[in-house]
Amino acid sequence: MTIQIDSNQEFMAAQRATISELETPVIEIWDGVLALPIVGTVDTVRAQNMTESLLLKIVETKSEIVILDITGVPIVDTSVSRHLLETISAARLLGAEVLLVGLTARTAMTLVHLGLDLAGVTTRTTMAKGLQLAFARLGLEVVSGRKISAEL
Amino acid sequence: MTIETRLPVKQEQDIVTARQTARAAASQLGFGAIDQSRIATAVSELTRNVIRYATNGAGDIVIREVSSERGVGLQIVVSDEGPGISDVNQVMQDGFTSGHGLGLGLSGTKRLMDEMDLQTEVGIGTVVTIVKWRR
Amino acid sequence: MSVPVIQVGSCLIATLTEEIGDAEALDLQETLNSRIEKSSATGVLLDISVLETIDSFLGRLLNEITLGARLLGAETVVAGMRPAVAMTLVELGLKLDGVRSTLDAERGLALLGQHLNGNSHT
Repeated sequence: MTIQIDSNQEFMAAQRATISELETPVIEIWDGVLALPIVGTVDTVRAQNMTESLLLKIVETKSEIVILDITGVPIVDTSVSRHLLETISAARLLGAEVLLVGLTARTAMTLVHLGLDLAGVTTRTTMAKGLQLAFARLGLEVVSGRKISAEL
Repeated sequence: MTIETRLPVKQEQDIVTARQTARAAASQLGFGAIDQSRIATAVSELTRNVIRYATNGAGDIVIREVSSERGVGLQIVVSDEGPGISDVNQVMQDGFTSGHGLGLGLSGTKRLMDEMDLQTEVGIGTVVTIVKWRR
Repeated sequence: MSVPVIQVGSCLIATLTEEIGDAEALDLQETLNSRIEKSSATGVLLDISVLETIDSFLGRLLNEITLGARLLGAETVVAGMRPAVAMTLVELGLKLDGVRSTLDAERGLALLGQHLNGNSHT
């Protein structure tokens, strides 16, 4: 009976680790630009895992810009906001600028009502706009050129 | 052999010694880098409180390995012999708001650790017990 | 053991190590203020890449060093904070809002150099 319980715990711990890795992917979308698309709820453990992955990636890639995308976060309440602000502060301490994207009108209202101080946090409504800003910060321009069709 | 170390907290250098010892113990027990940092920082806060605010600026710290159904953990006990804290909640609130003092260290420690227990009596002393469990 | 402060161009550079206690930290603050005044340095780089613990005392001190340096005409950059330290600081609730951070010393110096080229006196 004891052995059964132990192996279940081990299995669950392993599962949790896998889920952790999958749910906090940090993507290098451009040289020096990281994207962290958050989908689902953000509890304390997840926020800590996410922040840790992000910071390690910042060091590894020497990225200066992080785009935090909360489009997929259904509820942005006090607790979630606090976690986001902590992630942003931590990234800043490693010299990265954080752009928060994916805010909706409803999220904005919630944040305003909660009276949270998001001063100093640059925001944009979409990932595309965030990327545009990131390019601007890096002194990059997207120019129209010759279209190249993919070979079939 | 399980870890159990007792160190005096009497002078400023003891803060550094205590946090380095705690960090080494955490490392030995397999705690990750971030938890090691949390533990070292909490120890720094608590021992500094003793140096700055305790009677004669003296106390001691015990760092020991513990275990429970949660697995392996590191327990740290920081004690002194006075003056004791009359209103812990107020002190922690004040520390947080003012950004300095005894309360800041205590409220910060609480955030960093899994468990924190504070026993205090005015005129007698204070014992702060903190635990971090290995994930 | 006090923290050595070296001067490179118009920048003062100090490397903080894990053994830094309260007394050494306060001593560093005094030394920096005095050296900034004497040398009219316009930049201060605090290399914390080997620092493994920053608690509330040192965190506040970094803020103070930044403020003091600014009053004396110098900008301060804190370089190389370790992920574990950054996470702990944030969880501790310490705001290092006034402190400019860079990933490493190289970028820190570049940032301070930029300030020199861009604005000679802030």
